[in-house]
Formats: sequence, C-alpha cells, structure tokens
Amino acid sequence: MNAFALAFALSIQDGSHEKPGFPGLPANHRPEVEIPWNRFYDAEEIYALLDRFAAHWPRLLSHEVIGHSVENREMRVYTLTNPDAGPASSKPAMWVDGNVHGNEVQGAEAVVYLAWYLLENQTSNERARALLDQGAFYLLPMVNPDGRAHWFAGAHNAHSSRTGVQPLDRDGDGLFDEDGPDDLDGDGNIVQMRKHVPGEGTHRLNADDPRVMEFVPPNDKGIRGDWIYVGQEGIDNDGDGRINEDDVGGYDMNRSWPSLWQPDHVQFGAGPYPLYWPETRAIARFLLEHPNVAAVQSFHNSGGMILRGPGAEVFGEYPRADVAVYDELGRDGERMLPFYRYMIIWRDLYSVFGGFVNWAYEGLGIMSFTNELWADEQVSPDRRLGQGMQDQLLADDRLLLGEGFVDWHPYQHPLYGPIEIGGFQKDVGRVPPTFLVEEMIHRNALFCVRHAEALPEVVIRDPLVTDLGGVKAVDVVFANEHLIPTRTAQAAKNRIGRPDRLVLEGEGIEVLAGGVRSDRFRPEQIELQEHDPARLVREEGLGSRAELRVRWLVKGKGEATLRFEGEKARAVERTVAIP
Amino acid sequence: MITPFALAGLAAGLALARQDAPPAAEHPVKLLAHAELSAELARLASAHPDLATLHLVGRSREGRAIEALCITAAKERAEHPALLLVANLEGPRLFESGVALHHAERLLSEAGDEKVRALLESTVVWILPRANPDAAEARFATPRAERWTSTEGVDDDRDGRMGEDPPSDVNGDGLVTWMRVPDPDGTWMADPKDARALVEADRAKGERGVWKLYPEGRDLDHDEEASEDPPGDVRVDRNFPAGWEEHAAHAGLFATDEPEARALAEFVMAQKNLCLVLVFDGWDDLVEKPKSVGDDAPAVKLVPPAGLLESDAKQVEELGRRYREATENKTKGTSPTEGTFARWCYEHRGIVTLGAVLWDLPTEAPKSEAKPEEAKPADAPAEEKKEIEKKEGEKKDEREPSEDAKHLKWIDATGETWRFVPWTSFTHPELGAVEIGGFAPYARLEPPEKERGPIADRHFGFLLGLGAVLPRATLAECEREALGGDLWRVRAVVANDGFLPLFSKSAQRTQTTRPARVRLILPEAAVLVAGEVQTLVSDLPGSGGRKEILWLVHGPAAMEIGVEVDSDHAGKAFRKAEEAR
Repeated sequence: MNAFALAFALSIQDGSHEKPGFPGLPANHRPEVEIPWNRFYDAEEIYALLDRFAAHWPRLLSHEVIGHSVENREMRVYTLTNPDAGPASSKPAMWVDGNVHGNEVQGAEAVVYLAWYLLENQTSNERARALLDQGAFYLLPMVNPDGRAHWFAGAHNAHSSRTGVQPLDRDGDGLFDEDGPDDLDGDGNIVQMRKHVPGEGTHRLNADDPRVMEFVPPNDKGIRGDWIYVGQEGIDNDGDGRINEDDVGGYDMNRSWPSLWQPDHVQFGAGPYPLYWPETRAIARFLLEHPNVAAVQSFHNSGGMILRGPGAEVFGEYPRADVAVYDELGRDGERMLPFYRYMIIWRDLYSVFGGFVNWAYEGLGIMSFTNELWADEQVSPDRRLGQGMQDQLLADDRLLLGEGFVDWHPYQHPLYGPIEIGGFQKDVGRVPPTFLVEEMIHRNALFCVRHAEALPEVVIRDPLVTDLGGVKAVDVVFANEHLIPTRTAQAAKNRIGRPDRLVLEGEGIEVLAGGVRSDRFRPEQIELQEHDPARLVREEGLGSRAELRVRWLVKGKGEATLRFEGEKARAVERTVAIP
Repeated sequence: MITPFALAGLAAGLALARQDAPPAAEHPVKLLAHAELSAELARLASAHPDLATLHLVGRSREGRAIEALCITAAKERAEHPALLLVANLEGPRLFESGVALHHAERLLSEAGDEKVRALLESTVVWILPRANPDAAEARFATPRAERWTSTEGVDDDRDGRMGEDPPSDVNGDGLVTWMRVPDPDGTWMADPKDARALVEADRAKGERGVWKLYPEGRDLDHDEEASEDPPGDVRVDRNFPAGWEEHAAHAGLFATDEPEARALAEFVMAQKNLCLVLVFDGWDDLVEKPKSVGDDAPAVKLVPPAGLLESDAKQVEELGRRYREATENKTKGTSPTEGTFARWCYEHRGIVTLGAVLWDLPTEAPKSEAKPEEAKPADAPAEEKKEIEKKEGEKKDEREPSEDAKHLKWIDATGETWRFVPWTSFTHPELGAVEIGGFAPYARLEPPEKERGPIADRHFGFLLGLGAVLPRATLAECEREALGGDLWRVRAVVANDGFLPLFSKSAQRTQTTRPARVRLILPEAAVLVAGEVQTLVSDLPGSGGRKEILWLVHGPAAMEIGVEVDSDHAGKAFRKAEEAR
C-alpha cells in the first residue's frame, strides 16, 4: 500500500474528514439528528420529531401550546431563534404552518424539515446562523391535527379527511356524520366502485390493461361501453336513499379567516362565523399577539403552486408596492421549485373567501404565500410518461412495485349487486412517492428561507451634524436593507398595528423641529411633524430596500441617541455627538 | 302541539292588539343597573317557575352575565316556534332594556289574560333585555357619560399610545358633555335660528366656522386635540359578520371577537326553533318602508347583494303596518348597517328580523303648545290666508333651523331642561378659554318619565300579536286511495297557517334552517313503488301555504301506512293515512 492510500485509510478510521452541518453537500457530512425524509409521520410523530430537535438544540428551539383541536390535540407553536441575539419578540419573524386540510399531510413534514435544516447548519453556515440571530420562526406543523390523525389511521382516499372532525349535519336530516364512505372490503382504503353492465355502460376496459377504464365517447354507431363507475366505496348508511352524503365533519378551516369572510352558503365550508373552530381561533389570537410576524407561509397540497391573494375578485388589486415584493419572491420561488407556478388565487385558481393567507395579508398586512406542494410532473419531468391512468399505473408498477394501486376485485353491494372495488390509494396523487418527498420538502423549506432572508433589517447610516448658528441640524438616513418593507402598503393604508417611530433624544438636547426630508439636495424640504418632533411617526414605515432621510433641528449639546422602533424590525440605535 | 283554542286566541290577540291594554302603573319602565336587572330577572323566574326560566347567554368582556328569560306555557319547548326580543345592544339604550323587562313582567303577571295565554301556549318567547351590560353600566357611573364602545383599544391618533385622551368631566358638573373651543380652523358655528345649537359652516354660503367641537375632556398628550383617543373603540353591534368592516376601529379585530357578540351569535344558533327576532335599537324596519333588493338580484363578483330580499320585504311591510297601528310610533330610523346583529340574523341565518326605534328626541314642540299664529292657512279667511302664505314664502328663503335647534324647541316647550346644559365659559387646563355644555348624556335616548309607560304598553300590544305571525307547519291531510292490484296512492299535504313562510327567502339561501322532513312510514310487507322515502320541504308560504306529496305503495289493504312531519319549530307529528272518502 502506498503512502497516499495509507493516509487515506487512516483518515477514514478517525473520521477527520467529517464536517459539521448538513448543508446539502453529499460528501463527508453527517447530520446530528438523522431523520428518514422518505416517509410521512402521523400527528404524534410530528411533534415527537420536533421534540427531538428541541432536546438536541434546547437553546434554539422551544414550544408553547396555543390551544387545542376539537379532539383535544395540542396546537403547538415551536419558536426557532437564537435568544443570545435577542428574544424572538424583538425580531421580525416568519410564521410557517401546514396541514390545515387533514389530507394535505406533507406540509407538516416541510415545516419539520425547515427547523431541522436550519438547526443542522447553525455551526457551519453563516447565513443560517445570521437568520436565527436576526429573525425568528414560529412553526405550527399541523393546523388540523385531528384531520391528519384520521387520514393516517382511518380508511381514506387522497381527498378525504380534509375537514376537521366536529360533527356537521351536511344533508340537513338532523343526524351528524352518519353517512360517509365505507371501507366495504375492510382493506383500509376508500377506492372506487365499478359495475359490469354489458352493452349499457359508459366505459370499456383498456385492451392492454384491464385495470384501466376508458370512456367511450358518444357516437352514431351505437357503440356502448360495458362498465360504469358507481361512485366512491360506500353504502346508504342512514337509509335516506343517498350514499355517502354526510361524511365526518364537512367544513373547511381554510375558509374561516376574517378577511372578506362569507358564510357557508356563499363560501362552502366556512361555517357560521369567522374563526368558529378552536384551531383557527387559537392561531388568530397568536398572530394578533405577535405583531413582529412579517412573513407567512402556509403549506397545502397539491398541484405545484405558489399562491398569493386576493382570494376574491371583489377585493380589487393589492397595492403596487406590495405586489412588487410578492413578484420578486414568487419568481424566485418558480426558479427554486420546478413546475410550480406563481399565481393569484382568485384569478388563476378559484375564488376563496376567508382564506388564511388572505387574512394574513389583507387583515394583518403581512406578506403571505400558500404553496400547493407536489407537482406530479416530477415523476417524469421530461414527460416520457404522461398523466393518464395507464402512465400512472406504469410508474406505480415500475417504481413502487405496484403498491399504490388496489386491483379491481369483486364485491356484492346491497344496492348495486355484483360490483368491483379498486383504485389508487390515499397516498397516491396528492402526495409524492417516497423517493421524491425529500426533494419536495427541501425546496419548499428553502423557499421559506429565501422569504425569511427578506425580512426587514434596518440600519442607521452615518449621521451628519451641521451648525446653523445656535441651532444644529442633524441629518440621518434610516435604511431598510431588505426586500420586505417594515410596513407593507396594505398596513400603512389601513393603519394596521403601530406605525414606526424614528427617535432622537439625549440629555441636554432639545428637539425644536423635525421631519422626513423629501429632497436629497434641498434640506429645507421637510414634512415637519407638528407635535412631539423628537418621535417622528412613520405610518408608511421604511419601504422595500429604501432609505428615509430625516432632519432634526436641535438645541443644546451632548450625546444624542438615534433610534428606530418598529413592530416588524429589530430596534436599532446609534449615538451622535452634538457639539 | 298548538290547540285550536290557542289559535283562536292568537287571531283575537292580533285584532285586539291595540285596544284595552291594562294601565302601566304596576309595570313602570325601569332603568336598572346590572346587579338590579339580574336580580329582577332571577326574581321573575323564581316567581313563575311554570312559565319562565332564566338562561345565561354568556359573559361580557368585563365578566357581567348576559341573561335571557324564556317565557312559555308550551310543554315541549322544542315543538313550538320561538321569537327573540333583544334590547340594549348599544350601550346607552337602557330605556329599551327597561321596555323589554316590562314586557317580561307583563307576560308573567298577566298570564291568565286571554291574549297572553294564547301567545304563551303556542310560542316560546325569549326576552334578552341587555345584550351589552358593560357599556350600559356607564349610565349609573359618576360622572354620567354615554358609552357606545367597549374597553378594547385602538391607537386612534397614531401616536403610539392608546386611550390617553378619554372624554372626561372637566368642569366637575358630574356630566360628560361637549366643549366648543374658539379656533379659526374650526368648522362649527352657532345656528342663526338658535345660538345654543351648532351647525357646520357652509363656505358656499359665505359662512365661517368659529369653533372646534370635542367631547368634554382633557388634552393630556398636548397634541391640541381633546378626547381624541378614548379607551374603548369597539361597538358590540358592529362586530357581527354580515357586512363586517375590516379596519374600522369600531368594528373590532375580527367579527365575533367581542365576547358579547359571540355569545349572542351562539345563542341564536342554538335556538333551532327561532323564527323571528325583534330588536329594540337604532334600526328601523317597521316605520319607514324598508329598502329591499330583488329576489334575483345578482351577486357582484360572487358577493350577494346586501339587504332585505323583496319577498321578505313584503312580509316586513305588512308587519310594519301592524306595528304602526299598534304602537302609533312614528320614530324613523335607518336600516341595519354593516356588522350589526340584525343584519347578521337576517342575511346569514335567514331569520326575519324586525327593528324598531322606540323613541327619539322630538323635533317639534308638542301639538298642544302650538302658538295661534301657526294655525293652518286652510282655517283662515282668504285675505289672511294670502298674508300667511306670503310669510311662509319668505320663511322658505331663510335657512331652516337645524335638527338640534328643533330639538331645543321641544326641550323649551316641555321643560325637560336636564337634556341641554347651557354653554358656560370655562378655563380649560390645556386649551384655555372654552365653553362647556350642549346636549347631556342620554338626552337623545330617554323619553320623559310619563311617556315611558305608554310606549311600553303599546309595544306590549304589538308583541302579543306576534304569535299569529310565526310559521306553523302541520300535516293538514294524510290519505290513501286504492288503485287496484294492491297498489295505493298515498297523499299528504303539509300546510303553514302562520303569517310568515316556513322559510324566509333569505333562509332558502342560507340553508341554516333545517328543512321540514316528511317521511313515509311503511310496514315490512309494503314496497315503495314511486316517490321519496323522505321529502325535504323548505319552501312553504304562510297564511295557508300548502305542499302536496304523493307516493305509490304496493301492499295489502290491511297494512298501516303513516306519514310523519318533523320540523325544527313544530316538532314531530304523525298521521295514519286514512282511506279517502
């Protein structure tokens, strides 16, 4: 063995090539906390993962219980920040949540991954460290832990267990949740039912693959199919002549939020009044009590979208200055998330009244996105496989050993007689296959990082003192170096929260006048604040990557303190000597 | 189940609503502080345990109980339609809470009276006298002030502080009134018709303002504005979801954030048999003809148009006619505005909601004090008529007296001097020379003592007539006809003999009331050949509206076929299908 090989062999033994952190570089890195990211975790396991991180990084991650779900599960917010650089409340914060729809499970994993990735990289990566010094995250992985728990434990399909589980009389018959789908064959899945009706059907079986049902188009030759679909697996549980018309719950907690809220008959699923369900009211109270939140991300599935409001056309348009910020973040997102499109909810998707990110922006003035996780083009990005049932079955057969599809098998139905039951399982279609989960949650977690790095950061540039003869002029530039303004245009327009304040004070210093300068070269162009000029009130805040020039006229001498105070940026101070 | 006697009594009650109401002396209208009101409600419930139960609807922000009395003689509450009377949603409207309490007292103490008995045997009457106990309590505080808002704060003047400049009693007279402060920037001037009244100067007429007007208070933050940032901003009756105004300080952080609003909403939702709501507040549906929007008026960008739907408006107009006849009330108000309870009840819950303004500060001196010169021109001889008409014509060129000046005329004529505090100079600690005075707290809201009883009595008469108004679904007919071959046609007719339809037009949209369910009950031996096992009925007009349901059943003649109707407001009723004659 030569010297080189010997050295190499020795280094493998002592692990000296291993580096801290797990930054996405594949060689010589080992995470401190190993988590398999190729699967999903049920409601209890999600909290257990975060608790493992909190145990491993106790200074950086902690949680509080903000309320309880209908079935009394804890609603937990995990706070991620470095308290050595200040408590979370003193910094701009980002709120990230997932899983408001019980079946849209992967959002919780995305939230957990975000925490894990930032924690793993604290010691090795400057940007990760700066992020937790300068800002904070409030993480709530499951807005609907009950819905999630039911999706995991019960028989469901990809779309069910969307709702919370408070009983609701959907069909007006006085009974609650009495007729949901039924797992007739007891295999743990809710799939489809089909019936063989020779010569009287709408579908025929594909010649190559009898699992595939093909629609027979209307024609003049009298050609009919031999099969019909008869609906989702189920029976008429309450004997009212209808099947599966009153499933568990039946409401949509993402229609419960106060902005442009409309009741059930205008917006399906909204309930009788805003924040009706305990999960939503607890979250609303938290956000109202934490005005330092300046960025919001919500995770849903599916479709590959980066969504912003307005949710309803009637709102009109968002203010231009805020749209510019949204557009920059949205376009960055498109570059980070293949096949995802940056869209406006009402215009490009559908109308939503009372949506969460709509309230977060329209009601609270916070830049907010919903991402619909999982673009199924990712299964075959070059489109060698299409989107039809045959392609889906091929992908399932070849890449998942056929596990995703329940093959058609016979069943005797009380109403329909002999039928067959079969179809794709609940974890096919809206959630990725195992091997693509980590990619999805990594890209989306890093989109949150991109958003969080845009949180406002204010600096006070070198002040300039000019002696005007008895009176001194103090010229100060307050600058927001980041993309997100300290107050959005929506917040300024509607007087949401408290305005920013720009302060000059010092013992022996008397502030005679002051205001924001509107002209860089003409110092007399000042919007004077008539009362209490030592504390200038700035409803519009500091804009996106913008500078604000302020001039104070003062008498006296000594050391003065200049200070920026705002709800959504760290307070900044600087001293200036008044000679 | 409603008895024929009760039905007849209801009809009688409707016709006789206005006449021979017993004198009010035993039931004066009382304006009670919360503790006394609560005690009185408890006393009524315990004195009439067979008729009344006391319910805790919820608690206010400051922890006061919000209570309602349920008054009925019906054995099964759930099987009768209910009506709800809500008063004092606006803090200063204590007179209205007194009237509601008066109604409860009369219903209970006169339960033997024919009309009262007819109402109580057929209807569940809920009376909630004070929906906003915190703000109402200011009526009894010193200094006396009107309190329209709750304790939640908003930074009104954007100076980083909240509630630093509340209205207060600066001159120590025990009242929080008004201040007029001389200021060339001021927009107010004295009304030329009455210098006590203030009007806004109209530049177009060459008028110049001389005063700024503030609620009496200090300028503690020295921003040259007084009383501009009160400690409370939210009005409970702007915190309901229908038309809720986001970002309006008085509307609260989100709809139903105010515990009073949420409690009232939950209460309404829990009463499945609630068919009518009566609100004594600033809203008027019964005197002024209510505005309505077409039944088919299209949604604008998916948002349905606000307001009363035409079909429902027709019913409300008729009820308004009956109201005016019973109460002789001419006080007009406005339609319920954004975020109000009344609007939510109607637009989001589909419940017909009637608002009435019981009293307003009059704008004319009472007729008996009218001066002789003001006799109508029609009564005078021809030459005098011309003179008077000339004077009238001249008068038209001059400015009309302001509303406030008109109120003052009434105050002068009636001697109700407490309602207006003469403007008196005062040296204000921050603002210097000001004048303090103006309309006193509650002056615009509380009628003279001697008028209170009569107003309450006339409204009680209207209340008695409401029993016949509520919808009542019954199984009017249930029969079977042999068609041969053991095939039978079964026919049931559901009828509504109340005035209101089973579901308002609004309720047909909101679908917040469960439809009536008509179920065919068949024995094992029978087979349903045609028809639905269960029919949902959600559209049934009042005053004898009928819906016929047909089935074909195959089975032996001996079989027993029945039909059951089940509705939220009338419970269950079963009838056997008898052979048609």
